[in-house]
Amino acid sequence: MNSILFMILRRLRRPLILIIVSFAIATMGLTLMPGVDDKGQVWYMTIFEAFYVISYTASTIGFGEVPHPYSQAQRLWMTLSIYLTVIPWFYAVGKIITLLQDVSLRQAVTAERFANNVSKLQEPFFILCSYGQSASLLAKILDEKNMRAVIVEQNQERLNELELVDSKNRTLSLCADAKLPESLIRAGINNPYCSGVVTLTDNDDVNLAVAVSAKLMRPNLCVIARADRVDIAANMASFRTDHIINPYELFGEQLAMRVHALGTYILHQWLTGIPGDTLPPPENPPRGHWIVCGYGRFGKAVVANLERENLTTTIIEAMPDLTECTQCVVGSGTEAETLIEADIENACGIVAGTDNDINNLSIVMTAKALNPKLFLIVRKNNRDNSTLFRKFRADITMQPTDIIAHECLAHMLTPLLAEFLTMARSQDNQWANNLISQLVDVVGETVPETWAVTIDAKKASAVNEYIDSGMIVKIENLMCDPVDHEKELKLVPLLLLRDGNSTLVPDKDTVIVYGDRILFCGTYDAKTAVPSYLNNSRTFNYMMTGVEVPDSVIWRWIKNITVN
Amino acid sequence: MNLEKVVFGFFIVLAMTLNFGFFIGDIDNVSHHHVYELYAAIIVSLIATVLKFGDRTQLGAILLSTSLAADLQLITAAILWAAMEGQMDSAHMMVYIVSLSGGALMANFVSVILLISETITQRR
Repeated sequence: MNSILFMILRRLRRPLILIIVSFAIATMGLTLMPGVDDKGQVWYMTIFEAFYVISYTASTIGFGEVPHPYSQAQRLWMTLSIYLTVIPWFYAVGKIITLLQDVSLRQAVTAERFANNVSKLQEPFFILCSYGQSASLLAKILDEKNMRAVIVEQNQERLNELELVDSKNRTLSLCADAKLPESLIRAGINNPYCSGVVTLTDNDDVNLAVAVSAKLMRPNLCVIARADRVDIAANMASFRTDHIINPYELFGEQLAMRVHALGTYILHQWLTGIPGDTLPPPENPPRGHWIVCGYGRFGKAVVANLERENLTTTIIEAMPDLTECTQCVVGSGTEAETLIEADIENACGIVAGTDNDINNLSIVMTAKALNPKLFLIVRKNNRDNSTLFRKFRADITMQPTDIIAHECLAHMLTPLLAEFLTMARSQDNQWANNLISQLVDVVGETVPETWAVTIDAKKASAVNEYIDSGMIVKIENLMCDPVDHEKELKLVPLLLLRDGNSTLVPDKDTVIVYGDRILFCGTYDAKTAVPSYLNNSRTFNYMMTGVEVPDSVIWRWIKNITVN
Repeated sequence: MNLEKVVFGFFIVLAMTLNFGFFIGDIDNVSHHHVYELYAAIIVSLIATVLKFGDRTQLGAILLSTSLAADLQLITAAILWAAMEGQMDSAHMMVYIVSLSGGALMANFVSVILLISETITQRR
């Protein structure tokens, strides 16, 4: 705020000096003009009286001639004074108003206020370097999960949207170019509470610039960056960007995952969903011959992944030269002829994956008319078209922005969740289905909370004391309800990390040792209950033994008597 | 030579000299202290203050604060003069006013010393 005050003062230097000088001359002159009072005696104004008169004259208030009617000389001087003082006065007022409306000044004020608010944050927060479709979804989920986000976005119109969004917490936002390191500093990258930078713009260069500056300023900070081009992704990996998200590959991978391991896919979607959402309905794409419309970056990823699943594909592409497509049916896919040429009668599914929503819808509508049994997968690019897609009800509607947001979330919620999901991908479908049914039994169908617990002296002192004293603590002990130890909290251990080795869904009998990190998944109530016993020896003791140890001397004494 | 520097130095020195001119003389002798001299001292001091606005250096900040201190005391003296005129023994009143202007003189003095020290440390 300081620099802005000085900026205002410096700009006001000229009008202020003008006012001082003109007032000084007018006041001085007025005291020198002889006046005649009602008794005919000559009188002179004091400096104070003259200053009073000039003040109300210059500000055009005009109380009249006090204390006596003026003489000719005084009126002459007053006439001069009016022109001398009123003009600088208006000049100064105009200058102040212009200054307040000055764009650069207002920007400076908002930026300063933003930086101030960020530095006041007392809880972990993420910096989102854009407020596009995926970032806005991400911001919404983070808000639902009570995590704070700070947004840096260059486009003011997008930020206006943010103001209209219903949110639990106030999301701080700044209209600035995220490429400039200054913007990141304002957004609090040096704040110890900053837990990561997420850059999801559709411009690779911006993402790269943000990732580089974030890594330079805070080498240990978690940086999640989107990279559409392979060379940019490699570049990002070269300076150890923590997570690089390629939406096209991700889309293809997820599609493949849906085809061969639906359970794993659902688990992924469910654990990274918006709180309050329910389990996504299982749609299992059939195996057989597929038609892929559009062989852009998306189409390529889809085809590569489908072929890895040993499914045959026919590609329909309007511009085969541009997309380096060697074997394909030329056409856009929106007209029946091309689809028939691609042998739609014998296909089991179609992927409409062009970057044009209307074309995609047209493709699947035509295809459905030609072969009603087709499994329809349609790519939705723009969230504004949601109504149309809902109306059409394809078997799978895939939206890249959603996929990006869910992927980011897996990394942001807790690093253990990302680790868990990566390991889960290598498991078979049966395993995932079993886990889902186990989770649904415990937490219900709504999206559960996931959180990590670290067993060490600082974060779980009560548990640590127990282990130190040589007693055995098992995971099932941590799952007791601290209110009633007969009951269990509604949570499931998903992952146990010990000395760099991780165990998927650890057994309840597993003995906990110092330094263990456990990923839990459970209801919100369970999540809030866990911290209440981790550091409270009394509560934890009750959970272990089922006996409430009295705290005060008198109660202990009474208890001793009753026991004996 | 820079006209801005000349004007700047002129007003700072003038603020001090005018202040000194008002201050000097018997402290309770009304005829030794002219009201226009106080008036001029206030005006020049105000102009000097405004000229010091916007300098973000440490020295600029100190210069501004000395000016503000001088303004505060001179304006208090002027208000006292305007408010107490005719209600108080003039010799008595003059003691207050002159002692206040003495305080302002100290502030102006510091301001001039800072200005000189800055000039001396500059090699060119």
